Amino acid sequence: MNKEIVAFCCEHSAYPAADLAGKQRLCYPQNLRIIRVPCAGRIDAIHILKAFEKGAAAVLVLGCEDGACHHITGNTRAKERVKYSEMLLKEVGIDNRPVGMFNLAPNEPHKFIRVLNEMNKRIKESREAK
Amino acid sequence: METKIGVFICNCGGSIKNINFDAAREKVAKIPSVTCVNLSSNLCLGEGKEKMLSYIKEENIERVVVAACSPELKEHIFRQVLEGAGLNGHFFSMANIREQCSWAHEGDVTVKAVELIKMAVNRIRLLQPVEKKELSVNKEVLVVGGGFPAISSALQFSRIGLRTTLLEKKPNLGGKLREIEGFYSLETSSMIGAVEEDENIEILTSTEVVGVEGKIGDFTVRIRKGAEEILRNFGAIVFATGYETEVSPQDFQLKLGINIISQERLAQMLQASSVERKPESVGFIYDVSDENSRLPTLATLNNALTLKERWGSEVYVFCKNVKVDSEGVEKLYREVREHGVMFLKFDEKPRISAEDGRVKIEAKDILLGEDVTLTCDLLVAEEKLVPAEETEALSTLLNIRTDSRGFYQDENVHLYPVSSERGGIFFIGGCRSDLDFQRALVDVSSVVMGVYKLLSPGKILVEAERVKVDRQKCRTCLTCIRVCPHSAIQLVRVDNEKEVAEISDLACDGCGICAAICPAKAINFEGYSDEQIVAQIEAIGAS
Amino acid sequence: MIIAERKPMEEIKQMIAPYNKLLVAGCGTCVTVCWVGGEKEVGILASQLRLARSAEGNEISTLEATVERQCEKEMTAELKDKVAEVEAVLSLACGSGVQTMAELFEDKPIFPAVNTTFIGMPEKEGLWVEMCGACGDCFLDRTGGICPMVRCAKGLLNGPCGGTRKGGKCEIDPEKDCAWEIIYRWLEKQGRLDLMRKYYEPKNYRAVKRPGKVQAMQA
Repeated sequence: MNKEIVAFCCEHSAYPAADLAGKQRLCYPQNLRIIRVPCAGRIDAIHILKAFEKGAAAVLVLGCEDGACHHITGNTRAKERVKYSEMLLKEVGIDNRPVGMFNLAPNEPHKFIRVLNEMNKRIKESREAK
Repeated sequence: METKIGVFICNCGGSIKNINFDAAREKVAKIPSVTCVNLSSNLCLGEGKEKMLSYIKEENIERVVVAACSPELKEHIFRQVLEGAGLNGHFFSMANIREQCSWAHEGDVTVKAVELIKMAVNRIRLLQPVEKKELSVNKEVLVVGGGFPAISSALQFSRIGLRTTLLEKKPNLGGKLREIEGFYSLETSSMIGAVEEDENIEILTSTEVVGVEGKIGDFTVRIRKGAEEILRNFGAIVFATGYETEVSPQDFQLKLGINIISQERLAQMLQASSVERKPESVGFIYDVSDENSRLPTLATLNNALTLKERWGSEVYVFCKNVKVDSEGVEKLYREVREHGVMFLKFDEKPRISAEDGRVKIEAKDILLGEDVTLTCDLLVAEEKLVPAEETEALSTLLNIRTDSRGFYQDENVHLYPVSSERGGIFFIGGCRSDLDFQRALVDVSSVVMGVYKLLSPGKILVEAERVKVDRQKCRTCLTCIRVCPHSAIQLVRVDNEKEVAEISDLACDGCGICAAICPAKAINFEGYSDEQIVAQIEAIGAS
Repeated sequence: MIIAERKPMEEIKQMIAPYNKLLVAGCGTCVTVCWVGGEKEVGILASQLRLARSAEGNEISTLEATVERQCEKEMTAELKDKVAEVEAVLSLACGSGVQTMAELFEDKPIFPAVNTTFIGMPEKEGLWVEMCGACGDCFLDRTGGICPMVRCAKGLLNGPCGGTRKGGKCEIDPEKDCAWEIIYRWLEKQGRLDLMRKYYEPKNYRAVKRPGKVQAMQA
């Protein structure tokens, strides 16, 4: 792959938000590939790195809002791990692969779309900067 | 041996319009291990399910991918079809080609749909079976607390056949019942009498919980009475440890004394058969330091009414808002005003001082727009609701978080109100938040239903070892035990030597935080293992 | 246990620069427990190196393996076949593990990916602190259970320096507790405060001949 966004979506928040976006026919670009996880806290640096190894243009981790994680600490851990992954990438000279963690509620399809647009913008900017 | 994967593609009653299904079927049929591809338009309905079942049997399909709507909707239905065909329900994966593909994009989405199916096929190749297991649970309930919610739930547990132990720190039951019984026509003594007479309820007073080990269905609780400590076993624990009220002296620069008293003191004075001298004027004040004033409003309105009726004093209430969002309180407010109680609403903090042995209150009435000075014989000071004294210690003991105000876990929208992050441990009543009586009643009903569902069958069906620690790889670093938000992992000794981590099937809530953090990669989360996640990534763009 | 820290990436990249086929070898004991060199970290480091090379337009082929304890010859010998396939080995074990590997596979460059730092324990999640300096002449018996050689910033052996800050904090590092203040309090609790009055001679740092040897008496 080379233009896809790999999005790890928590089944309590982002996954249903993405479903809702579809139900409401809110359209977004086709380059999104969602991988469903039980909690954003399931995702670690290795998944993010491997996604980039396979050619992902950007990686997203999406979880519940602060204080609303069904598993209490999953979303905060995910946030730390995403920051850690950014550092790991920077360490090896890679600073043009956007990765981000965002929080949303299951009934926020518009926020879901905004996040996607933001990532696509970052992809464009980082590719133009090369 | 190559596994046989069957792919079922549904057009969801024709609502998927931008996929070329024939082209998709052709491409999918070429994927290795896919032995048959089937098109349908109503896979989740009776006829569709029957067809699916017969296909699985006829073609000897071993694993099933369904490409259709979101798994959030019908995953469980399709798993049942697999089980009906004699397959393990976990040999199943869905590709969301509707909500997250067809409906979300303009134009033809056949390419993406095929890729989503490939992702599901890649994942399904690596899935392992997960068996269901029945675990027996202890049907006894421990209720910690002695106030209205504790007593009420104990009585209801007994009524539905669950043996209950009611454990109270103080020497007597009752909690705040005696303070509020007048407001709600309750009779404390008859309620306490009812629990004392109930054969299904064991009462332990002057007793404390000092340790809780174990998990849902099987808690070992260390109980201390005086110098003696004993261990008891329960299936579920309900904490109803209540709240306390605190007067914030710093807001008044004056101490509680003869002329500035608490609501509790006022209630005592009103209940006394006679009083030294009836105050001619009484002021109430709240909303100065804490705007969570639902319960202070209730206490003020109820006490103000009683005061008027019993002493006939002049009564003034200083507040920002009269919080009437509880059942019946609008009516109470009108009644209180009809009795001549005067309300003064302020925005800036009033100044309170002593003058000639009386209390002087200076405030700007926002309705009048003027400064008002009133001198009262008695001022009933603002009360803040705070968690009961032992709440913090208890939350550490239980490894359960408290919210930003120190109450138990009321702010997380994903946890049902009376549940906590530890399965089998519940919180009801004032220890959760500043609940009024009606809301406390709802808490009691909720927890009774919840515990009944949990314990009454005497056993629970769980997925066995869905998240599992590999004992050979476990390095006993204690990381998973420390991070599990549901306290579901414990150390166990194996072969009389090594201690390793073990995950309880009952208490595990399947988040995967442990699997992500284990530095030895010793924890396998079936369905979401590293390999199963990476396999999906590998299918992207691989055409 | 032994605590280590991953080396700066620049150093690691320099070490492996001439090689295109690498074994990234982890250890399942101390470095796993301190989150630095277990199977998980092996995976992450290997992935980083592949991404780095690919970004440079080159390639690197990596094998990944973790043995239970790299400082045990029998266990590390299990890596024989993998080592034979590669040009060099990047080990995430402590110095002891790296050298055991080097002894077993004399002809292969074995590179250390971590710096072995100290003997310590976890103070809180993800934070390991030094507890023991391995001086070979333990005197914890007379300090109430705290080692001032390691936990006093100045390594004093006969009482506090006199510069202790308010709240019992160290003069040099205000975030640290003054070790001697704690020693005093614990000796007091133990009823052994008389030890504070005793004078102890300077330590014999030659107690540990390098390289140290310990012969067990049991057979």
